[in-house]
Amino acid sequence: MTTDPSAGQAILSLSNVRKEYAGHVAVDDVDLTVSAGEVVAIIGPSGSGKSTTLRCINLLEVPDSGTVSVLGRTLDTARGVKHAELMQLRRDVGMVFQSFNLFPHLTVLRNVSLPQERVLGRSRKEADERSMALLEQVGLASKASAYPPKCSGGQQQRVAIARALALDPKVMLFDEPTSALDPELGLEVLAVMRQLADKGMTMIVVTHEIHFATEVADRLVVMSDGRIIEQGDPKAVLADPQVERTRTFLSAIRDR
Amino acid sequence: MSTSLLNDWADWAPRLLDGLGLSLKVTGLSLAIGLTLGLVLALWSSAKRLPVRLPAIVLVEVGRGMPALVMLQLIYFGLPDAGLTLETFPAVVVALSLTTAAYTSEIIRAGLRAVPSGQLEAASALGMSGGDTQRFVVIPQGLRIALPTLMGFAILIFQISALAYSVGLPELLSQAYSVGAATYRYLDVLVLAGLFYLAVTIPASWLVARLERRLNRHL
Repeated sequence: MTTDPSAGQAILSLSNVRKEYAGHVAVDDVDLTVSAGEVVAIIGPSGSGKSTTLRCINLLEVPDSGTVSVLGRTLDTARGVKHAELMQLRRDVGMVFQSFNLFPHLTVLRNVSLPQERVLGRSRKEADERSMALLEQVGLASKASAYPPKCSGGQQQRVAIARALALDPKVMLFDEPTSALDPELGLEVLAVMRQLADKGMTMIVVTHEIHFATEVADRLVVMSDGRIIEQGDPKAVLADPQVERTRTFLSAIRDR
Repeated sequence: MSTSLLNDWADWAPRLLDGLGLSLKVTGLSLAIGLTLGLVLALWSSAKRLPVRLPAIVLVEVGRGMPALVMLQLIYFGLPDAGLTLETFPAVVVALSLTTAAYTSEIIRAGLRAVPSGQLEAASALGMSGGDTQRFVVIPQGLRIALPTLMGFAILIFQISALAYSVGLPELLSQAYSVGAATYRYLDVLVLAGLFYLAVTIPASWLVARLERRLNRHL
């Protein structure tokens, strides 16, 4: 793991990304380049455009302008994105949501296996083997035949991580993965994420967990009013923020 | 209640049972066809673009706005003028299927819309196609949500099947009516027919209520 983003090869970059909702500018002029194996944490006050930025990467939100480039495939969003390009992008990029979004009518195992069968064309047997290996990895092999509503939030989120990983993404996006969880359950999820980072997965994490950001992230990105206002080594940014807005935000978090 | 009435009821019961069997057959067949069409209409009328979903919306609105009796008369007595003649049984099944399709498409559509949008986002982020998302994620859950309401509607269609009397299909009400015409005991025989309808609808409603409670427990 490296703290210098220029050391690895760029795997993902956003350039000049702008997204507006009915006259309200959610994200503007965002440039972000992420290297292979890098863990980037995005923090900032609510409404600062963190989640929108993340959702612009896998085009759950299509930016009004700007380019999204993943593994050398550059998509100019203003020109429109072809279906095949979108599908390729979604294969390369996995995502984990704040509210888990498991399919409650399917068992844990089916949740992890179904996308593999439908998206990658794996056989049921192949998919189930991969699912079980991943469920083992996130500590939930014993829950394979349970239904999500019978699992705790922390367990559901770990299943959601396994479900995304099962498609062998090259980049993982986490949108406030622990915000809906009790602190203790959040720790289980953070442990799995740390494990993933140690294995060299490229990760972009929108989070309020300053501790995780400092310990695990290689780079901290601070957003405010739809823009990136500061970024750098997490410890350095936290110790000596260069921008006033960062300072007030950090002290607000620490005061809690 | 005199024993003679019970004796008469026992005499009439086999005919009415034949009629009840036919009523149930018409209901079952109409539901099978109508619910399938209803699902198709629900998906069709959920299409993103207005020109695509417009025909479905028109079909649903016409189907729901037209009284089932008018639909039946139109098909049985009206269509022969346009060169399409149906026997009573298929005419009744077609009419009730269309009414079922129009009504249940709205019930099913509401069920499909009740599936949380986060799941659609997750499926989309996983790279699942729109068709797969509907098939594996939305439809199974949407139908489950709609199930109690659909079963309530099924009971209603069973009651509506009595309209088939108007085109002479020998279902439960027709049988009762012909017994009445032969014996001039309309009150007695229609009460018996009513009891036959109730023997189906009351336990069915009870089942629906139980199902509803069970499904709610898991939410």
